[in-house]
Amino acid sequence: MTKSNNQFKRIIGVLVTALSVLIVGLWHGTTALAAPKMETGIGLPKDISVDGHRIDWLLGVTNLFVTILFIMVCLWILIACIKHGKKHTSDYDHGESKHTFIASLTVSALVFLIVDGNLFVNSMIDIDYVFWDFAGVEKKPDLVRIEINAHQWAWDARYAGPDGQFNTKDDVVTLNQINVPKDAPILFQLASVDVIHSFYLPNLRVKQDVVPGRITHLWFQATELGDFDIACAQHCGVNHYLMKAQLTVQNSDVFQEWIRQQSIDSVRLYETAVKEGGIHEKRFQETQWGWPWKKSL
Amino acid sequence: MSELQPIHAAPTSFIKKHIFSTDHKVIAKQFLWAGLLFLALGGFLAMLIRWQWAFPGEAVPFVGQGMFPSSDGSITPSGYTKLFTNHGLIMIFFAITPLLIGFFGNLLIPLQIGARDMAFPRLNMASFWVFVLSQLLVLASLVVPLGAAAAGWTTYPPLSTNIATPGLGQTLMVMALFVVGISTIMGAINYIVTIIGFRAPGMGYFKMPLSIWGLWLASILNLLFVPVLGSAGLLLLFDRLFDTQFFIAGASGNGDPILFQHLFWLFGHPEVYILILPAWGVIADFLSFFSRKPSYFYKGSVWALVTISILSALVYGHHMFVAGMSPMLGKSFMLLTLAISIPAELLFLNWLHTIWKGSIRLTVPMLFSLGFVFVFALGGLTGIHLGTISTDLYLHDTMFVVGHFHFTLAAATFLAVFAGIYFWFPKMFGRHMNQRLGKIHFWTSFIGINGVFTGQLIVGYAGQHRRLYDPYEYTFIKHLQPLNEWTTYFAFFLGVSSLVFVVNFFWNVFRRGHDENIDNPWEVGTLEWTVPSPPHHHNFDTIPTVFHGPHEYSNPEVKKALGKDWLAQTEKFSFSKQDDS
Repeated sequence: MTKSNNQFKRIIGVLVTALSVLIVGLWHGTTALAAPKMETGIGLPKDISVDGHRIDWLLGVTNLFVTILFIMVCLWILIACIKHGKKHTSDYDHGESKHTFIASLTVSALVFLIVDGNLFVNSMIDIDYVFWDFAGVEKKPDLVRIEINAHQWAWDARYAGPDGQFNTKDDVVTLNQINVPKDAPILFQLASVDVIHSFYLPNLRVKQDVVPGRITHLWFQATELGDFDIACAQHCGVNHYLMKAQLTVQNSDVFQEWIRQQSIDSVRLYETAVKEGGIHEKRFQETQWGWPWKKSL
Repeated sequence: MSELQPIHAAPTSFIKKHIFSTDHKVIAKQFLWAGLLFLALGGFLAMLIRWQWAFPGEAVPFVGQGMFPSSDGSITPSGYTKLFTNHGLIMIFFAITPLLIGFFGNLLIPLQIGARDMAFPRLNMASFWVFVLSQLLVLASLVVPLGAAAAGWTTYPPLSTNIATPGLGQTLMVMALFVVGISTIMGAINYIVTIIGFRAPGMGYFKMPLSIWGLWLASILNLLFVPVLGSAGLLLLFDRLFDTQFFIAGASGNGDPILFQHLFWLFGHPEVYILILPAWGVIADFLSFFSRKPSYFYKGSVWALVTISILSALVYGHHMFVAGMSPMLGKSFMLLTLAISIPAELLFLNWLHTIWKGSIRLTVPMLFSLGFVFVFALGGLTGIHLGTISTDLYLHDTMFVVGHFHFTLAAATFLAVFAGIYFWFPKMFGRHMNQRLGKIHFWTSFIGINGVFTGQLIVGYAGQHRRLYDPYEYTFIKHLQPLNEWTTYFAFFLGVSSLVFVVNFFWNVFRRGHDENIDNPWEVGTLEWTVPSPPHHHNFDTIPTVFHGPHEYSNPEVKKALGKDWLAQTEKFSFSKQDDS
């Protein structure tokens, strides 16, 4: 009895939270701008980031290597089948000479050093100095910090507002809409209330799981104005495919003005809610899911 | 050896002979039937998934009205999550595993090492019937209230807990995984003990066929790592049934979902090698048999298999690069993952060298083997992209991953299974399969397989992520619809091509008569071909003595003395130059 009771409460809780987030989100909601542009062709989607080219280059080089290796394998099989067919007299060769041993290991080691070595070295550099260098990003001057609260099946975003502190009344909260300034580093801290989600920005070549019970990080710097898709890459339930948001890259002054306006609205809403008290205040507080910004290590 | 393996009279009653049999050859066939049945089921689910990706939300022809009456024949988002979840779980645990481990293991181990049966025949029988129980649990999970399992084949909590999948189906599926684990452990113990203790005199470890090496190493990995999956499953069951919070975090608990991922992949990564090791072994043998040439650098292949088995336990973290793991841990897993490519390349080079300068016979098993080398090259090479963290930031959880593991785990393993079925069919049933139909089956499924999984790789590279009910909700995926539609046509083609196999297989299993030239039609020297087809209940009237390795082909001295290009492992022949490999 208590179990189903708890479950009932839990479901009601989730529903109420989702509803209030939706309402506040719509209040705060920026009207959707033009939808993202269609991609064409079958390659990588358009890269709109400062560092995405690192991943694209590494993928491209690896493609080249593996294509060469694959063609060699195909030719080898084809030639063997044509030249060394039924009429060919088979070589009696167990291939267990010292020469074989050295030659095979040398070839394996060479391929490893070139193909895997290139991947390893560049990936180490990429993650140490770029994609996972969160401590370094924290020190950048024009950094924009955003907290993301993921839940089935939407993304809530929270900006600190003019006071620079999270979870205060001037915070800007949006639903499925993330505005960021062009050419500035954007650092996210991500949390989930229910199941595991994954914050995926194909045009920026980055992705980070969002795990209940912990805060994860992701950062990027966009170089192009416009609207782009944000997706959930981790299966998170029935409507996983609908858990998408829109990233809008704006000029810095437009973004600052947007934040200022939104923040004024936030404060007014908050003060109205407090004045009216009761359900209004409660409903408002239920959307206060933010957390003090965590220091990156 | 002989006193350890007395000859028992063959059972005469139908039940003891065909149902509750302790004969490894019968159990092998039972695993074959059970595996093929679930392969058909898993394949059917795949067709529905493909339909959805080509024509999202449109009514499914033929079966839609019956399966999804409430939505007028079209797949619902909730139904779709159940489709891909059950497709993955059924294929991996209830189709590939019984075929590669249960079928190959039971058929080959006693016959190829010269034993009269498994070390523990009754445990062997128990292993199969426990497996049947797990399959029944799966079938039950499909029809219970609140629906089948829907948390993805990885069953990640909290999604797989009551928070998001409260149905009985999910519970039954986790139970099925636990039960299939018990069956696998029983089998693994039996295989390991049999290989260590029951090899015929003269059958040293380096005289075993590579199939046996593959099965042996896979069994060792099974014994070590299936209990880890069992523990993860059990804790998950506690979370589901007894309100514990091992894996629940966020608004409703204080556990750790990542702990499950560690346990799951600590099993899950060895698992992919468990499934490919027997296939590698079987294919390596076939390449030698049908090139009429010794397996090139046999010992190198063996050590490559051993090295890969050891490394397989140390790389699982690459499934969790973007789960928020510590960078230090991530980098270690990255290096170890890439290191696997060294022994893998050695193995691959040995295959290529084996066929080079041979005398290749393009029989049906050989076609499937060469097809295996082709698709495994594709699968292996696309794995390189996924082995490093920075490229995985983009590719993780995309269809590129799906394409990659389908090339290795689906395309390669099933080509190996089919190669094995065509090769050992005469041994099992005393009849040939139709070779022309076999060739048609090969070429059609080869085209289908490559079309399907290449399509997945391409859309994944373009960014399409996994498990989307309607991928075209996303602007950056919209333009991939025609490509996905084509991929679906390839999938249907592959599905239809399997019917060629079904006809060929059933017709020859059930037709009457005993074919000519059935005892050793391929002219190979491993021990199973030194006994009649099908073998007697006790396999070997006298336990054979082994003199040579499994790959003695085209030896000029043998040709001169005996007029044939092969030598059975039991055939005594003194070479002028000592060569005991």
